[in-house]
Amino acid sequence: MFIILGSLLALAVGAGFVGAISGLGGGVFIVPALVIFAKMPMRVAAGASLISVVATSAGASVAFIRDGFTNLKVAMVLECATVTGAVAGAYLAGHVPAVVLELLFAAVMLQSAYSLIRKRGEAIVPESDALASKLDLGGEVRDDSGRLIHYGVVNVPGGATLMTVAGLMSGLLGIGSGALKVLAMDSIMHMPLKISSATSNFMIGVTAGAGALVFLSRGDVATTIAAPVALGVTAGALLGSRLLPHLKVESLRIVFIIILLLTAVEMGWRALSGI
Amino acid sequence: MDRNPGRTAVSSEEDRILRFWMPILLRTILTLAMLVLAAGLVLTVTSSRHYFVERYHEVQRGHLVGSEKFPNFGRNILAGKPHAVLTLGLFVLTLVPLLRVAFCFLFFIKERDFTYVALTAYVLAGLVLGILLGRVG
Repeated sequence: MFIILGSLLALAVGAGFVGAISGLGGGVFIVPALVIFAKMPMRVAAGASLISVVATSAGASVAFIRDGFTNLKVAMVLECATVTGAVAGAYLAGHVPAVVLELLFAAVMLQSAYSLIRKRGEAIVPESDALASKLDLGGEVRDDSGRLIHYGVVNVPGGATLMTVAGLMSGLLGIGSGALKVLAMDSIMHMPLKISSATSNFMIGVTAGAGALVFLSRGDVATTIAAPVALGVTAGALLGSRLLPHLKVESLRIVFIIILLLTAVEMGWRALSGI
Repeated sequence: MDRNPGRTAVSSEEDRILRFWMPILLRTILTLAMLVLAAGLVLTVTSSRHYFVERYHEVQRGHLVGSEKFPNFGRNILAGKPHAVLTLGLFVLTLVPLLRVAFCFLFFIKERDFTYVALTAYVLAGLVLGILLGRVG
């Protein structure tokens, strides 16, 4: 009993740590670990995954808001797009074959990892464009050398479009889609990676929170699995968010690339094995 | 415009509220959720020698406890039934991100920042609609 409980907790701490520093949520590791190693049904893994996304978001949020990494205005603007996509996805769920979506998702992840490997150290833009200025979206962040730099936000419509896709994926597949969210803010809207991670962390919690409430009220959560996962993930996320200010952006990006590749393999595996 | 280190684009009053009160509120709820979950786990481990392992194997076969009616749920929490206590802990945990949006909404109203009041209201409405539709996340 204690071996099972201990392994679940250890797995969850690791998932929460990486989930928090990358802004992806812990689900990326929780789902394959529960399905492959613990031999849990997909429905149980999906419920635990939603809970773990909420726990990562909640655990990391405390430190992130205090440090000022979370850009709440950007989060609200983009969450409008995500929610729209998620509700549309909920409508569409059942009409589109999951295999098609999962393979599509795996392809998007691979492409994202490739673009991140090629384009390292995205230059941040000093000034926001017209729409972003009107919405007052810019902010300030310290770079690796501790220097305070102002960052602008550009291409809100482009970012919102990708966020709608991220929301659509969430509604259809029951995942956090944190990777797409970070990508939208980092690559399209040219926000600093730390700000993107923290803001994505807030957003995944909101969408997954709504999903988790549905699962919980339906009684679709295996509490004996989800509870140790939630405890471990929260502890890992607290630790990860405390360390984020001290981490180098470059190492963060490498971790992010590895996670994208893992996600792609996982999604492809899920699609092809027909789970 | 004067800007503080590492902050997002907000005024100093917004900054104080967002960075001081919100983490305190969130931390309190998060701590509460963790305490309830930890208590639930202790109950799970101590309730009977084999409860956890039995549940674990049941879950592997896809057998979940299922939803409970509210009066029963309350009674089971008071009776210290592990499943009910753990469900309560998970519910409290789920409130954290949703309360953040609600908190932002109240805050933007107070600031009379109506663009953001409208945006946040849209998000809240979408979440409620999503829950009603039965599947978001």
